[in-house]
Amino acid sequence: MTYSYLAAAVRGGQIIAAGVMLALVALLIIAAFVLFRVLVKKREKEEQDIVEEVSTQEALEEHNAQYIQSDNFAGFDDALEAKREQLLREKKAAEEKDLPPDENALLEVRHLKMYFPLKKTIGGKVTLALRAVDDVSFKLKAGETLGIVGESGCGKTTMGRAILKLYQPTGGQIFFDGKDIAGYKPKEMRPLRTQMQIIFQDPYSSLPPRSTVGGILSEPVKVHKIVPKDETKDYVMKIMEQCGLRDYYYERYPHEFSGGQRQRICIARALSVRPKLVVCDEPVSALDVSIQAQIINLLKQLQADLGLTYLFISHDLSVVKHISDKIGVMYLGSMVEFGNKQDIFTNPMHPYTQALFSAVPNPNPDVKMDRIVLKGDIPSPANPPKGCKFNTRCPHAKEICKHIAPKYKEYEPGHFVACHCYSQED
Amino acid sequence: MAEEIKDPKTGKKNRNYLTGREIREIVRSNNKITHALEKKKRRKAKEEEFITTLKDDKNILEVEDLHTYFFTEQGVVKAVNGVSFEVPQGSTVGVVGESGCGKSVTSMSIMQLLQGPAGQIVSGEIRFKSYDFKRDEKGNPIPIWELDENGEPVLAEKKDKKGKTVLDKEGNPVLEQKQKRDEYGTLQYEMEEKVFNIAEMPIKEMYRLRGRQIAMIFQEPMTSLNPVFTIGNQLDEVTLLHFPGSSKADAKRRSIEMLNLVGIAMPERVYKSYPHELSGGMRQRVMISMALAGDPRLIIADEPTTALDVTIQAQILDLLRDLKQRINGSILLITHDLGIIAEMADYVVVMYAGRIIEKGTASEIFHHPMHPYTIGLQKSKPTMDSEKETLFNIPGNVPNPIDMPDYCYFRERCSRCKKACFGDYPPMVQVSPTHFVACHLYDDKKEEEK
Repeated sequence: MTYSYLAAAVRGGQIIAAGVMLALVALLIIAAFVLFRVLVKKREKEEQDIVEEVSTQEALEEHNAQYIQSDNFAGFDDALEAKREQLLREKKAAEEKDLPPDENALLEVRHLKMYFPLKKTIGGKVTLALRAVDDVSFKLKAGETLGIVGESGCGKTTMGRAILKLYQPTGGQIFFDGKDIAGYKPKEMRPLRTQMQIIFQDPYSSLPPRSTVGGILSEPVKVHKIVPKDETKDYVMKIMEQCGLRDYYYERYPHEFSGGQRQRICIARALSVRPKLVVCDEPVSALDVSIQAQIINLLKQLQADLGLTYLFISHDLSVVKHISDKIGVMYLGSMVEFGNKQDIFTNPMHPYTQALFSAVPNPNPDVKMDRIVLKGDIPSPANPPKGCKFNTRCPHAKEICKHIAPKYKEYEPGHFVACHCYSQED
Repeated sequence: MAEEIKDPKTGKKNRNYLTGREIREIVRSNNKITHALEKKKRRKAKEEEFITTLKDDKNILEVEDLHTYFFTEQGVVKAVNGVSFEVPQGSTVGVVGESGCGKSVTSMSIMQLLQGPAGQIVSGEIRFKSYDFKRDEKGNPIPIWELDENGEPVLAEKKDKKGKTVLDKEGNPVLEQKQKRDEYGTLQYEMEEKVFNIAEMPIKEMYRLRGRQIAMIFQEPMTSLNPVFTIGNQLDEVTLLHFPGSSKADAKRRSIEMLNLVGIAMPERVYKSYPHELSGGMRQRVMISMALAGDPRLIIADEPTTALDVTIQAQILDLLRDLKQRINGSILLITHDLGIIAEMADYVVVMYAGRIIEKGTASEIFHHPMHPYTIGLQKSKPTMDSEKETLFNIPGNVPNPIDMPDYCYFRERCSRCKKACFGDYPPMVQVSPTHFVACHLYDDKKEEEK
């Protein structure tokens, strides 16, 4: 008995010792981690100090001007330029931050950034980010349609979703109806959801298969208490009629419908809460040509009747041209050209816009177009090219394009372009 | 609506679903037909059974009255219902139509790639003018020997598989006749022209044509490349299978040449990479190079640019046009985009609900469209030059593919309907030597002319 008692004591002692050891190890790890963080922060600060020292704005401008004038970029410091540009952007964003939003605009986006982290340190600091949307600004008046065009992977869908706060933007401001909603929490967004809605690309995967059309359409009406409970069905019927859906569809399920009809249901669902802004994320891409025309006409009709504002995202230029008042061309997360439809189509200024327009096939067999065929593919947005992002594929690329990013400037009233081809003229 | 109307034949209430018993009945009757057809596909057949002659020797492909059905639980879907068209040699024929109109099924029928046992070619003829190896008595292909200026065969040292020279007993190198190689280094054999009826060919015989004489470029390049093999591995396979006697080194040389031909900048690197490492445009280029590797006479491009961006689409279309001239082949281009058809095609075939409703040369179809559907299709597409406020739209949808009506399939959506449209399905009317249209609107004109 004594023996077992002793053994137990020894065992107990061991456990205590082990416990102490563990605690020590844990402490050590925490201490090391804290030290590491402190060191990293110190180093970052030092680096920043160095940059700030070197890059007082004027000194760097001079440094650049020297290269631009001589048109010789041998020995040009790209890292310094990148930092200068970032500083410049931050400065500009900070300057504009306190400006009041434009009263005429329903939606105003300033320096919107949406980064997705690719690599993180242990401390959670993002070292590599995919810049899906990088510094995009525009204004959209009520009742207008803004068409966003660009290749796949240029960030147009991400931008649409970030504006609706389906993603939390990394930076920038989104003024909706005069309020900056970029910092709103999901709970604060809830009442605003009735004013901004989205129509998704694929009508086959964006409708719940287990509820009837009536259920799908009346749910948002009930949740947001748009009309009194007993009037819900009448209200939904009215919306269905507006969207060209027959009344006996109310009891049917989504699988019983064709693509065009499903897209009508999606539109009706978006409109059932009486929104002001509708983001149309490629609403006709998944549909056949003859059905496309039906949906586009419906969208235009609804806009005329209800005074809707559309943000129309599409890769099909002819559709965008048909429906939009203003057009924004995106490339690798940046807006490269923005302006009124007429300006952009009669006088496309950015080489990318020109190439995009000339690539659209013309349904006339006699017209053989002189096509600007771009070389290569769109680069990875995780590692965009230095300088102008388009320089790797641009037919007019110069030496300066490889090093310095062009400014996004207004060349004609309301016509913004980011390209070096025009910046030297003035 | 449909639920309330009683069926005039049976007097029963029309339901919009099938009972289990009805489905079992349908499956039983389907099985009888599909078993027989599957058996026919797997039979051993002599070459005489599926060799025919072309109606017009200028054509490379003639499809006549093709019926391809899908035997499903819900009933028979007549995906292709009496389709006839020709592909003249060296030209591009565009097939255009909405999704579900049977344009892809037509191309699958030509390749005999239909998913059996449900999908079957029920009747009709697909005549294809093909090159085939001339064979000796034993059935081996006859090589072409390289000849010098005097017409004497050139002798070369015989080499074994590892590339070493074979020596005879006395230590002298063994000499043999040197076989002719083409510009890519592939061994040449004597060829002859034969016309095959693909609809009658057993599956085993199809291996001669598929990938060799007829090649296909599929819509989605990611799903049609095998993700676990390198590009080189998949490309080499074409040469190793279709060119007898070629070694792995020959195959690699040919593959790299083909990658070069489609404008890939670093063929050596792409040769070693896996499909996921390439972008969409590059993958489609690889698919095209794979199609070219068999040196085909006919390329079927099934929506080759639908999954690609506009700028990449422009690249691929340029490439296809350029290649067609270089290899002197024919292209059957299937797409729903009228713009692409206008740019690429010499002849256009418009399909609707499994039937051809209009066919003619590109300028006829685009400048003088006759069928209301073709006209509507062109008006409903917004173009870069148009300034119209509202688009023309064709009301309604494509009819249900099961239980197609007897009358014109377009009747419910047509704005120019007349009395004759309530009768039979309209026959093909010839309005010019190359322009055909299936519509009752043009019946009288023909009669008047008579």
